[in-house]
Amino acid sequence: MKETNIMGIETSCDETAVSIVRNGKHLLSNIIASQIEIHQRYGGVVPEIASRKHMELIMVICQEALEKAELSLDDIDGIAVVPGPGLKGSLLVGLSFGKAIAFASGKPLIGVNHIEGHIFVNFLNNEEILFPFISLVVSGGHTSLILVQSIEQLEVIGKTRDDAAGEVLDKIAKYLGLGYPGGPIIEKMAKTGKDDAINFPRPLLNSNGFDFSFSGLKTAVINYIINSKAAQQEVNINDLCASFQRAIIDTVKHKTLTAANKYNISRIVLGGGVVANEQLRKELTEDAGKSNISVYCPPKELCTDNAAMIAVAGFYKLKAGITNSFDLDVFTE
Amino acid sequence: MNILGIDTSAKTLNLAVVNDDEMVVDYRINTVERTHSALILPLLNSMLNLNGIKLKQIEGIAVSIGPGSFTGLRIGLSTAKGLSFALSIPIVGINTLESYAFRWMDLPGKLCPLIRARRGEYYFAVFNKKHNSLHIIKGYQCADWNKIKDELLRYDNKVFIFGCGLEDILKEEKVEKSKNIENIHFITSNKNIANAANIALIGEKKILENTYDDIYTLSPFYIKRPAAEIKKEKDDSKDI
Ligand SMILES: [Zn+2]
Repeated sequence: MKETNIMGIETSCDETAVSIVRNGKHLLSNIIASQIEIHQRYGGVVPEIASRKHMELIMVICQEALEKAELSLDDIDGIAVVPGPGLKGSLLVGLSFGKAIAFASGKPLIGVNHIEGHIFVNFLNNEEILFPFISLVVSGGHTSLILVQSIEQLEVIGKTRDDAAGEVLDKIAKYLGLGYPGGPIIEKMAKTGKDDAINFPRPLLNSNGFDFSFSGLKTAVINYIINSKAAQQEVNINDLCASFQRAIIDTVKHKTLTAANKYNISRIVLGGGVVANEQLRKELTEDAGKSNISVYCPPKELCTDNAAMIAVAGFYKLKAGITNSFDLDVFTE
Repeated sequence: MNILGIDTSAKTLNLAVVNDDEMVVDYRINTVERTHSALILPLLNSMLNLNGIKLKQIEGIAVSIGPGSFTGLRIGLSTAKGLSFALSIPIVGINTLESYAFRWMDLPGKLCPLIRARRGEYYFAVFNKKHNSLHIIKGYQCADWNKIKDELLRYDNKVFIFGCGLEDILKEEKVEKSKNIENIHFITSNKNIANAANIALIGEKKILENTYDDIYTLSPFYIKRPAAEIKKEKDDSKDI
């Protein structure tokens, strides 16, 4: 059988990443240059700095991905790029570079939505997951519930109306002076805290739709800290982190399981940086198991942004005959 | 030698092919509705097809690396790198101000190309000519029109100013184009637009001299640092 090697290129935020995946299953290389340290100083990603860094790194990372895979460009059968969503200036570097490679080498160009990447990366380690399934994608940029009928039929059934869950984790960690990115830091502090110490709100928990809202929770956490200080009461940071994390987990877990039940679907597929959270993975798997729903989750290193996810999704799109023309352009939302 | 020139530094998207010091084709689009990103490869494809040039016949890429629109420069350079890599041909980055000066080499005096930056500022440089080549005597910098004017008035002989920033100066600074300011002469010809052919001509020379660039490290010539970086430095120094 002929091997199909897809090169995935991903520069939508602050990671310059190129990966090569064979037949949608075998990870031949997965190179990621993270700019986290640069943006840490600013407490968040600075778009112009991120774009400049991508420009500096893109060719180096691409070459490294080929070398690690022990392949040359001739061995590549398709170029998967990300038109969005993400930061416009950042997206443009990877998209322009990838399009030019595909154009000049006569290889198919496959546009992969960044969120599709987070979902289909699950195919890398599992036997092809059967359609349909419900996908929960939670990260610093998005919080979405998606009903996936096939590789080309995805319907967003719920999304955040304000901040993404990961964004709120980042903002609270920044407010507490704990650093960036917030998710892993808060998860660590929460381990030794009591998650029922403070009763934070779970916005839209019992609303009819599947939309999320996290800005109210963010305000509640900040108000709690301000009020405690005003009352000269010491805040137990571990308890605070545990209770805050609990509110987020309860919300996304509840919404996801309700969606699976409503659409009568027995598979849940997770993706995005926030699902690297062990507590969230564990609880969702356990609770879903009670209703015979299987939960699929990528390994931690493939939850955060990477290009393997773009290559995997690219492989399945190409297999379904979906390619793009060279006027493919960026979109931010 | 067939060299492809790419200029995405300003509003006009411009591609050209030169061969043996002569322009072969020159295509441009004044993008209004669609972006450089969406149009650059379709334009390249049409240009090559309609003129019977095969991609494999391109032997080098010359790309305008700025100063200019940060995003525009990155679209051009990312595209140029992808083409250069996939075709295994040399890439050379050409300074946009230098390419404008190159176009007006025949004028009898000093040359000052201008490119619009943001917030009423302009990228500029002043060139002298010696033995049919350009020598930079001031720049590359970013300044407002008054500062640039003061600089140019210091010179004894004629200074010709031109480039895509000139129109903005005439409009916004209410300068009359028919009137020169002492030794400063305005060149308001429609040559004040993108100039991929010049980029390619300069590039061809460099490639023939084997002075092309490293595809890994070639970066845009921004001149200006990111605003956030400058602000951060100021804030940090306040804390000390
Ligand atoms: Zn992501």
